[in-house]
Amino acid sequence: MSYAYLFKYIIIGDTGVGKSCLLLQFTDKRFQPVHDLTIGVEFGARMITIDGKQIKLQIWDTAGQEAFRSITRSYYRGAAGALLVYDITRRETFNHLTTWLEDARQHSNSNMVIMLIGNKSDLDSRREVKKEEGEAFAREHGLVFMETSARTAANVEEAFINTAKEIYEKIQEGVFDINNEANGIKIGQQHSPTNPSLPGSGGAAGAANSGCC
Amino acid sequence: MFRSRSWFGGPWGGRPKNRLSLDHLKYLYSILEKNTTVSESNRGLLVESLRCIAEILIWGDQHDSLVFDFFLEKNMLSYFLHIMRQKSGGSSFVCVQLLQTLNILFENIRNETSLYYLLSNNHVNSIMVHKFDFSDEDVMGYYILFLKTLSLKLNTHTIHFFYNEHTNDFPLYTEAIKFFNHPESMVRIAVRTISLNVYKVQNSSMLRFIRDKTAAPYFSNLVWFIGKHILELDTCVRTDIDHQSNQKLSNLVAEHLDHLHYLSDILLLDIKDLNAVLTEHLLHKLFVPLYIFSLTPTPPPPSLALVTQNLAAVLNRNVDIDIQEMHNPRVSSIVALYLLSLVFLVVSHAPLVHALAWVILNGDHGVFKDGAAEILNSYVEHREVVVPGFGEPNESLEQALDTVTGQCSASSYALSEDSGVESSSPATTEVETQAEVDAAKKLRNITDEEKELLQKTSGSGKADFGELAKPFLDTVLHALECTENDYLALLSLCLIYAMSHNRGIKNEWFEQVLSKSTRGSFSYKTAIIEHLLNIITQSSQPSCRIRLITVEIALELLVTFTKPSSDEARCITTGQQDLLFSARNQSMLVLRNFYKSEDIFLDLFEDEYNEMKKAQLNVEFLCMDSTILLPPTGTPLTGINFTRRLPCGEVEKARRAIRVYFLLRRTCQKFLNERESLLPLTNVVTLVQVDNTLDLNNSDLIACTVVAKDNSKQRRFLVIDALQLILVEPDAKLLGWGVAKFVGFLQDVEVQGDKDDSRCLHITVHRGGVTHNRTPLLSAKFLFDDHIRCMAAKQRLTKGRSKARQKKMYQIAQLIEIPGQMDSPVYAVGGTTAVPSGSSSSGSSSRSGHHRPIFSTANRVPGFAAVLRSNNSAGVSRTQMAQNRSIEGIRNESAGRSRRRSPNTSSGTTLRSDHLDRDRSPSVSVGSHSSSQSRENSQPRSSGNRSRESSPRLPRPRSEEIPMEDFQHSRNNSPHSRGNGSPASRSHTPSRVLQYEISVHSGSPREPSLVASNALLSQLNSVSLAREVLPVQSSEETSFIGTDATDGGRGSDSSRRKGAIETV
Repeated sequence: MSYAYLFKYIIIGDTGVGKSCLLLQFTDKRFQPVHDLTIGVEFGARMITIDGKQIKLQIWDTAGQEAFRSITRSYYRGAAGALLVYDITRRETFNHLTTWLEDARQHSNSNMVIMLIGNKSDLDSRREVKKEEGEAFAREHGLVFMETSARTAANVEEAFINTAKEIYEKIQEGVFDINNEANGIKIGQQHSPTNPSLPGSGGAAGAANSGCC
Repeated sequence: MFRSRSWFGGPWGGRPKNRLSLDHLKYLYSILEKNTTVSESNRGLLVESLRCIAEILIWGDQHDSLVFDFFLEKNMLSYFLHIMRQKSGGSSFVCVQLLQTLNILFENIRNETSLYYLLSNNHVNSIMVHKFDFSDEDVMGYYILFLKTLSLKLNTHTIHFFYNEHTNDFPLYTEAIKFFNHPESMVRIAVRTISLNVYKVQNSSMLRFIRDKTAAPYFSNLVWFIGKHILELDTCVRTDIDHQSNQKLSNLVAEHLDHLHYLSDILLLDIKDLNAVLTEHLLHKLFVPLYIFSLTPTPPPPSLALVTQNLAAVLNRNVDIDIQEMHNPRVSSIVALYLLSLVFLVVSHAPLVHALAWVILNGDHGVFKDGAAEILNSYVEHREVVVPGFGEPNESLEQALDTVTGQCSASSYALSEDSGVESSSPATTEVETQAEVDAAKKLRNITDEEKELLQKTSGSGKADFGELAKPFLDTVLHALECTENDYLALLSLCLIYAMSHNRGIKNEWFEQVLSKSTRGSFSYKTAIIEHLLNIITQSSQPSCRIRLITVEIALELLVTFTKPSSDEARCITTGQQDLLFSARNQSMLVLRNFYKSEDIFLDLFEDEYNEMKKAQLNVEFLCMDSTILLPPTGTPLTGINFTRRLPCGEVEKARRAIRVYFLLRRTCQKFLNERESLLPLTNVVTLVQVDNTLDLNNSDLIACTVVAKDNSKQRRFLVIDALQLILVEPDAKLLGWGVAKFVGFLQDVEVQGDKDDSRCLHITVHRGGVTHNRTPLLSAKFLFDDHIRCMAAKQRLTKGRSKARQKKMYQIAQLIEIPGQMDSPVYAVGGTTAVPSGSSSSGSSSRSGHHRPIFSTANRVPGFAAVLRSNNSAGVSRTQMAQNRSIEGIRNESAGRSRRRSPNTSSGTTLRSDHLDRDRSPSVSVGSHSSSQSRENSQPRSSGNRSRESSPRLPRPRSEEIPMEDFQHSRNNSPHSRGNGSPASRSHTPSRVLQYEISVHSGSPREPSLVASNALLSQLNSVSLAREVLPVQSSEETSFIGTDATDGGRGSDSSRRKGAIETV
């Protein structure tokens, strides 16, 4: 339960790009997607280690909250990182990135780290968006880019952890005001009672217990 | 496919091999059956089983319906419940998995019937009301997500699974809203989503339940919570004078905006009953008792109140200070104005905004007692009155909701929980109190005689106060006075702007109220206009403390408030309009002080113009910026946008002066119904674009090799135009023509020689502008054939740069009427002289004729350069000719056309345009010559000896008028088609300023504008005439090139003649 920092993430992108699957893949590696079974969940937490420090990532998928203006404007704020996801097999999800990014930039705090993710890289045969296009988009907008597959778990760890690393660097540089919880970063109670055998989050437990990979 | 699972390797035999199968589910069921009690030892196993169940169920939902049947048949959800209800060790660990399983289940299920089955027994509701350990952030996260997921499944069918009409049970909603104030923002967002999803469902009995049982407690708590947040915000503003905790403040503001948008989203769902309750609470529990109350004068601190009372006793007067009211919470008037602006910017629910606007515009202190009953009654039939007062609800939401499920008469809420501090004294005495307190305040430290005096005056002062029927509106107006700075004024402007632009407030009503209600002798509308003009006038002063954004909104509001009701003239008196124009002139005077020949001024000038063009006024965006809540500051170190702070340093002062002038100029043009014709300085239409094909016969071409940074080499020809540097490649089809491969502005060119290679130049073309530090447009090494050509190129680039800049500086000089650069006294005359303008002219119609030709004389002084050939295209070329030709051809064409026109002009049919043409000609030739010339000219005029005779009526043969610039240019270039036309077409541009300046300056501005438009019209005619005359000869090519070719031919024809004259 004890962590040095807690980073809040949000996942954004069109429906059906595999946001909640990515999330579940990262927080609960135990769910290995099998053939045509896709399982996702819209909230999750997992402990990672950066620079010898325990960092808890708390991820909120925002699906279904787009209907109201008050909701969209508020959820970008309060996140330290955002994964902007598109589906490499559906061009339109790539085309909508600009809108998502505009929204994010408008409402988020300026330090939010945004990572661009081209998901479903396992479906290379049905690919509609070239990797180079994703790279170009990321370069143009100053994002970090990665192609992932929630199904094969390729790059999923890296996507979340690299984002965390970037946030961590920003903290070290003093860019992020960590005392302000509105920035999506929380300082953990270092001396809070801990129970190492029982990590509070299912995700963390999963990571510890999983013997599947 | 199925990996061996180490955590199952234990003693449980009989585990099916296929992980996704009914058999496996049966096996997992047996585990649940055997492990009904959670303990240290079986915890891991249970978690793993729960996880697997989720997986199998989703698989079953998509593949095997038997799976679900089994799940329901065995009532497995009840096992879930049983597990979570146990308090044994590590239950939160199990609970997290349980909630996750439930989430996975409800999120991923696609089969409608499966969903119905899952919901059909009451287990889900039982899970919702279970008191989890919410201090665990993961439990909290999964729990609220669980509720959110379910709320997304709500519709008119599924609502019955969640809302029980008979028992008045609706745990999904009531459990969720208990977290409305949770410290974790994501949880609060989820609560808002859930509540909105619930309200959205069209089910009358459910909505009745919401209204009767929960609305009052929920909304009163919500409103109280928002109010507390505001007090925190206010504290932040009060203590943060030095912009130190900007981050905190901006978060508080953003958070408050979230609340407002949430309220607005509820109101937008348009659920009548709910909206009535919410409106009532917002108005009477927050807006009136806190926001509006804060617009009343601040009472003295308690100690002072005591002193006052003592003093009053000495003076034998009764001062009845309402101590209770003094303790009412209030925010600073800054914050109050700001918050009210936000309400009007975000919320558009008519009853609410109308009532609030009514209170501001019409209300007096009575509203603290009665609220806006009058307005609300007209919207809502049976109002449940909420007594105004800002205070904490009696019951916390949780308590209230708990009693709801019991047998509590709901409608009593509205009345029972009004603990708010109410103003007990009647309105009038309150006013008196305020007045006397104020008076008493002044009484400190004064002598007895003065006291006596004051006693008398305070009596009358009291009467004055009594007359003040609209104390809030007066406060708003009073805030517009910015003698010291515009701190309050900006927010007051935002409020007025927001009110006048709110969709929920009927415009006519707003107008009516403002124009009917009077203070003293004039209406409030007039008062507002006067205030606005006051701000505008002040902003044009050299060292004013008014921010650009304030000026911009003030101008915008001035336009709004003087908007003609039908197609009549603007509702503005001549006096008011004069104020506006003199402010503009004043701003021009200020700007003149910054006019320098330094390079940076031109860049600043063009930059500011672009900035102004780009940035549309958006008050809503402005009001998201928390920094406007803090005292205005000058330093850019705060990170505050330039327009929202005061200028810092000379450069920024220049920028500000430029921008104020632009803003005022634009507004004046709106009042005159004019279109901007002199800005931007660069006429984009006449510029050469990349890929244009250009006739370069007889042009000076310098061959060179362009070596880019990456060592790529290109053979190009360097052409130097009046404004542009062009690199061309020979055209493949036409001999002597070239295709532009690169264009850049000469004004942005930087040339450097090479120490080692005398044939080499380093040329950088910047992107222009001062604020953008982007990569240059071009940065390359130019290799020329020999030393001479290299020198020539360098010289011409350097000269071209300075000339291009001079030209633009001259344009600016004309725009802002720099004395010495032009005939300034013209304007003195112009200011008093009315110009004939057809029907609407008012006298002195012939006098324009008097001074106008003088322009011409100015040009006719021997040796003075004048623009001539392309006169007729002057006013129109940008707009008219833009469409079909943007290049070379234009210039040639215009050159040709003017020649064709010259006989016309003397015919008298186009007399006016002819005048104007000539008016337009005080030309470029920058130098002592011209300025001395103009001074010379100015003298007779300023002394009033203007005479028609002084100017020749008939134009002299145009060919005699050779612009100096052109002359040089053509000498440099050797006569060629473009050299003649192009500089002329630009150099005349500034002179058009005259036209407009005059009109703006003259006392009765409408008339000159007509002249101007007449002029434009006639020019238009001439242009179109000229166009018609133009035959399109070549048909085998595209029309574009075709016309060019034609024009080019004609142009070169004309220029050749011209050339001949020049060489004579």
